[in-house]
Amino acid sequence: MELLEQGVIELLLTFVSVDNLNAFLRDPRSVAILLGAMVAMSGAWLGVFLLLRRMSLTGDAISHTVLLGIVVAFFAMIALGLEPSLSSPLLLVGATIAGVLTVVLTEFIKRSNLLKGDAALGLVFPLLFALAVILISRFAEDVHLDTDAVLVGEIGIAWANTTSHCLDNCESVTITPESPQAQVGRQCTNCSRGGISPRDPTAIFEETCSNCGTYSAAEAWRLRLIPEPPLLVFFPKALGVMGVITLLNALFVLVFYKELKIAAFDEALARALGFRPVLLTYVLMTLVSLTAVGAFNAVGSILVVAFFVIPPATAYLLTDRLSLMLLGSPLFGMLGAVTGYELARGSFLGLSVNAFLRQLDSTFGIGGYTDWNVSISASMVIMTFFFFLLAWIFSPRYGLIAGIWQRRSGKMRFKDQMLMGHLYHHMGAPDEMAECALPTMHEHLNWVESEVQASLARVSKRGWVQIEHNAAHLTPAGVQEVIRFRNDLLRPGWQNDAVSFAAIGD
Amino acid sequence: MTQQDKRVWGLIAALVLVLALAVPVSSGVFGVNYDYTLTVVALGGGLLGMLSGALGSFAVLRQESLLGDALSHAALPGVAIAFLVAGRDLPALLLGAAIAGWIGVQFISAVTATTRIKQDAAMGMALSAFFAVGIALLSYIQGRGDAAQAGLDKFIFGQAAAIRRADVELIALAGLVALLVLLIFWKEFKLVTFNREFAAANGYPVALVDGLLSLLIVGAIVLGLQVAGVILMVGLLIAPGVAARQWTHHLGQMVVLAGIFGGFAGATGAIISGIDVGLPTGPLIIVVASVLVALSLLLAPERGVLRVWMQQRADRKRFAALTILRDLYSHALQHNNLHEPMSEQTLVKVRGGAAQEGLRQLAAQSAITQARNGWYLTDHGIALAAADARNQQLWNLYRRHHHGLDLLAVAEDRDQPIDKVLPAEDVRRLEMLRKGEAF
Repeated sequence: MELLEQGVIELLLTFVSVDNLNAFLRDPRSVAILLGAMVAMSGAWLGVFLLLRRMSLTGDAISHTVLLGIVVAFFAMIALGLEPSLSSPLLLVGATIAGVLTVVLTEFIKRSNLLKGDAALGLVFPLLFALAVILISRFAEDVHLDTDAVLVGEIGIAWANTTSHCLDNCESVTITPESPQAQVGRQCTNCSRGGISPRDPTAIFEETCSNCGTYSAAEAWRLRLIPEPPLLVFFPKALGVMGVITLLNALFVLVFYKELKIAAFDEALARALGFRPVLLTYVLMTLVSLTAVGAFNAVGSILVVAFFVIPPATAYLLTDRLSLMLLGSPLFGMLGAVTGYELARGSFLGLSVNAFLRQLDSTFGIGGYTDWNVSISASMVIMTFFFFLLAWIFSPRYGLIAGIWQRRSGKMRFKDQMLMGHLYHHMGAPDEMAECALPTMHEHLNWVESEVQASLARVSKRGWVQIEHNAAHLTPAGVQEVIRFRNDLLRPGWQNDAVSFAAIGD
Repeated sequence: MTQQDKRVWGLIAALVLVLALAVPVSSGVFGVNYDYTLTVVALGGGLLGMLSGALGSFAVLRQESLLGDALSHAALPGVAIAFLVAGRDLPALLLGAAIAGWIGVQFISAVTATTRIKQDAAMGMALSAFFAVGIALLSYIQGRGDAAQAGLDKFIFGQAAAIRRADVELIALAGLVALLVLLIFWKEFKLVTFNREFAAANGYPVALVDGLLSLLIVGAIVLGLQVAGVILMVGLLIAPGVAARQWTHHLGQMVVLAGIFGGFAGATGAIISGIDVGLPTGPLIIVVASVLVALSLLLAPERGVLRVWMQQRADRKRFAALTILRDLYSHALQHNNLHEPMSEQTLVKVRGGAAQEGLRQLAAQSAITQARNGWYLTDHGIALAAADARNQQLWNLYRRHHHGLDLLAVAEDRDQPIDKVLPAEDVRRLEMLRKGEAF
């Protein structure tokens, strides 16, 4: 990991100066947004396939159960005598196993055919999560694992947990009792026993060096043991972990694009072509677990599921192409991450949340107004969801407004066709004057008069109907149009439009 | 009383007995102190388990298990907003939770109705987005730093230890109301759960009944949040129902049994957490409920894993025996000597390892005996083989001629003796046909 970070830093330093890089990496805002964007990207890529395979809730379940893997990995680290840490690779291993275990157990229960629908998932993940919570509370003194941090994450302080990389002036400093900087203190060696006070004449003193030892360059500079600062870059650990996971996910999607695509849309075909969709599913689930655990450090184990589900759903409403979905959903996720950070700090797309709250407070007199300063990861999810709502309302093809518009125009087209069909039916017939006279036509069609007028206005505007002697007549173009849509309706599959055809033929 | 009724009542009696024994045993052996707090918590946990178990049965049957998960997550912002508006007042918090959960359900059905997004993704969105709003509001409330907010986050993980007497009374009251509603609208609930189209065609207000049932489930979830928390609530809701489903095909029995399972899990979880104070009650309840599910899946009659496994084993044995019997018989017919022996090696070569199992079975029935040069059929074995051969021939004739002879239409189950399936007259006609063909 450290070597990798070193490599990344060296690469970056060919573009920017050390000062600029440090300024970027020491800035909570830029690190939080970068981390959020990475989580959003990796979540979105995998989420697209989860969505298409209707496994979104499996992603949700995994993001819960990785907690068990994390806890067990913590115990393993303690048992191995390692310092437990949230960025250890063992954590990734444990969580991945837990995630895959979730899928295996669920599939096993499902295969018994004793349960229906999603009940198997609903049994497995609460159990695994409950076991994790029990382990945490039982061994709380050993496991310094805050359940709150697990749920919500601490993306706001990710910048502070760093590995320092030294680039220049890196010699470590060793302090021996002979060194000029050595601090020597007197310590009573037998005071703890038998109530001997340091002032007692029998107290034995020993001179010890309190700061002897070896210091890395960074530590030495912090303690001012060396005159010149070393050239340091502080690299947030979470960025490294998440970066690797993002890369891994990108590679997976790129390399197995064809296989994933076929398995998502036609699993039977994938199996017939020898693509082993089941194996692919397990690889996908492994990556989901890996992403969930990598991201939980940043955004928490519950909120990571938002990045699996919401951006792909947003893209799904806007495009029919898998490739565009894979490009669009990380974009929406990243947009949510960027604007979400600002929301947590009180700015909703540039509007002040505090002003709104103050207004609310003075209008309703609730009292207890404080400045808006909330969980960053939750805000990122809220903004991601906000963009979904926008897509849901405004999507040109699948949006709510488009739906209303389509229904409306469909209804109008149906009316116009019925009216023209009526005119066609009575064209040249003896009762034409009675059936097609403007004042009485609405009675024959059994419509309200204003509907007839509106429809007539529309079809006259298109030159299909002409009004002469207070009666409506089809123009030659109108006759052509009636023949065209009648033929259309008579095509195979016309049953869908059976109602309109029956009405016209009447 | 049918077999199934007896089984269910026996199960209920056993669980009640275990629970009744658990109290003296736990206080005697583990030194659990049944003080006021533990009694209240155990009572509250038990009642909540009963309520959510009974109502969760409907969620299980409607295959909407995970809707409970989405709903319980979606309730969190309601708790936070209710706290901001009304302060720390339990009924207000529960009302807020219920409203938010209901909005979550509406969101899910609106998304699935108006877009091509499927229910699972819609639930995932509602779950995470609502939960995020809840977390953001909770962090805002924490930022206000007023003392009353302490303990709001118990809704996330649940905190059974915080249950007070007033809460238990509220739960009991809600349970009574739910029971009353269940009894009054029993027929409607049953119809809508099993056959919506039929219910709608018969003029039942399906949407209204749906809404009422959802309302009951929302209520159970909202009350349960205090014990199990947002994340684990789905387990408490569906595990008892899944376990109960394994034991009965009768809705009434299932609901009662699920209630008992849920109550058992709730009370036992509380008692175990009394043994070791470090253990949280909510997750323990889930573990107990999961154990009940595992036992039910394993042991249930008819469909249980153990039963199916035993059945398959017995079938395999029977089939191995039948195969060897047929082999010996046809071998004997070919040699015109009904006692013609056949060596074990030949049988193993043809039939593989199952041959030995088959021989063992047949020998145990004394249908075959061993001679120096192999196994041969006894008179009893010959009679068995002949009866089997006749049965298969009659079934073959039935398949070919049942239209022509206008025989009774039955499912062709060749393992059954045809005399038991067809009327005697039909068998006699097939028998005539068989003898005619044989001569």
